[in-house]
Amino acid sequence: MYRTVAQLDSLSQLLASWFPQYFTRVQLPEASVQGRPVYALRLRAGVGEGRRAVLLVGGTHSRELMNPDAIIELAVDLFVSYRQGTDVVYGGRTWSARDVKVILETLDLWLVPCSNPDGREYVMTVDNMWRKNRRTNAGTECRGVDLNRNLDIVWGVTQGQTSCAPCSDVYCGPSVVSEPETRNIRYLLNAHPIDCFADVHSYSELVLYPWGHAPTQTANPAQQFTGLPTGTCTTIGQPGYQEYMPPRDLMRFQTVGQRIVDAITAVRGRVYTNEPAVTLYPVTGSHSDYAYSRHIANPRLRKTYGYTLETGPWAGNVQDSFHPADPTLIKRDAKSGLLALVQQCICAIELVGSRFLGRDSEVSALRRVRDNLLATTEAGRGWIALFERVQTPLIGAVLEDERLASEAVALVESAGLLADNQDLMLSDEDVARSVALVQALSHRAEPHLREDLEQVRDAVEQLRGRSMAHAVETLMHQAPRVGRRGQLNGS
Amino acid sequence: MTEPSHGNGPDEPTEIAVRFEATVHAGPKVAEAADVADLDLDRVPDPDGGVRALLTAEDCIRLLQRGYEVRLVGALPVRPLDPALIADDESVTRWLEERMTGIEREGS
Repeated sequence: MYRTVAQLDSLSQLLASWFPQYFTRVQLPEASVQGRPVYALRLRAGVGEGRRAVLLVGGTHSRELMNPDAIIELAVDLFVSYRQGTDVVYGGRTWSARDVKVILETLDLWLVPCSNPDGREYVMTVDNMWRKNRRTNAGTECRGVDLNRNLDIVWGVTQGQTSCAPCSDVYCGPSVVSEPETRNIRYLLNAHPIDCFADVHSYSELVLYPWGHAPTQTANPAQQFTGLPTGTCTTIGQPGYQEYMPPRDLMRFQTVGQRIVDAITAVRGRVYTNEPAVTLYPVTGSHSDYAYSRHIANPRLRKTYGYTLETGPWAGNVQDSFHPADPTLIKRDAKSGLLALVQQCICAIELVGSRFLGRDSEVSALRRVRDNLLATTEAGRGWIALFERVQTPLIGAVLEDERLASEAVALVESAGLLADNQDLMLSDEDVARSVALVQALSHRAEPHLREDLEQVRDAVEQLRGRSMAHAVETLMHQAPRVGRRGQLNGS
Repeated sequence: MTEPSHGNGPDEPTEIAVRFEATVHAGPKVAEAADVADLDLDRVPDPDGGVRALLTAEDCIRLLQRGYEVRLVGALPVRPLDPALIADDESVTRWLEERMTGIEREGS
């Protein structure tokens, strides 16, 4: 069963009125083209401002009906888990109550279950295969703009499945971000520190990451979208054009995307494919490309890792693929994938810095080492991926144990100092403290993480008595060992 | 620029009565089905990686005139979603109340 726009709005209104400490419903600045309000729902627990945030958007394409329902159900699942102290169980994938507690006390989850209410209403009352919003296009009887072609990323370039024709179902709109529905999403990205983003579509069981308009390359930073003309209503016009992405970002997209895939597969065995969006077919002006591209177009803006999920399998025909009679299992898969994305958005070091130190200086210093040094080599990126893999499952253990938390804080302080002054030596005390923390974590870790932790311990032991600069140099050229699944860790 | 006719008419009434689910293939005058991109079709994912789309009768004619081969696999009358697939208000509220069983409400 699928909920109407009014029912989705009612659920978010009830949640916000029943549990105002957890849910906040926000009417977005712009009503839809037909005047319907568009709502965002924020879910969080605990205290603290300036948190990292995740934005999940559903209903962009009207006929892809199950995702608005999945998003609101995910919010309910997380809240119930938090309040009852129960695990979230999606088939064979369990998210512990501790995982959920960390997520809700660390992040702000921003949910826009139905970004295109006019379209959903139209699907339910007039035309069940409607895709776009319901704009009146001047000079034509044709209605609607494809909202996922309207954003400010190579807008109006008719690469692949993008059109400047108002009657087309992939019409990019009369101007960039011309639609109130897309301006609402831009507003949320501007107003909140959104680190992770997903626009949830259907169907074909895909996890898509940028770029959508061209194949990705990591070799030529000069070739990037900021140099492309927009609004041309022609193709990119450069044969063989490939869009640049820093290797570190590509690795993170692939790594996190694979975790989304794994979390879905664990539910009941459905195997989603993690791939660049252009692989499905080229498009311009999409939400997820826009979310990621913003920091490139304007370096003052935050980097947001933007994904598109295409939920649900091919069901033998288009109608049953868009509107399965019972979408319950598909929604469960989708919720598991989205939860994996949300969890990957947590940064343990940043959390320690903000929660326990109340400052950003150490975190900034460590971030510089990560982004400016480690991220520049394959070996260094392997260590980043390894850290990102172990941090999420272990942060809960650290936060729950006062002694561990205290050790982690001391370690971040010490590491931040070293990162800021790379001539300083790693003292015996630094190394001993690090090894002790890693060993303590290893006792609490799932078996599959212990190999990673052993590698961290061994690496730290090797760095005793060396300068920070030397230590970082070593990590940049000495990759972690190949992991369990035959992959370079995190690649 | 190609002007497709996809029946994107005003809310009442719609301009077209039916769409066709179809796969599009290279034909005698067209070497690559993927070249269809410049025809602004309403493409949907195809399980075999081919070109699948929702087409109007006019789209079919344009494709055939351009030399593509079009295989119709279904007719989809333009109509509202099956009401049997739409939740009723009472069940939606009941679902939330059941999920919140045992959790004390803080607000009204």
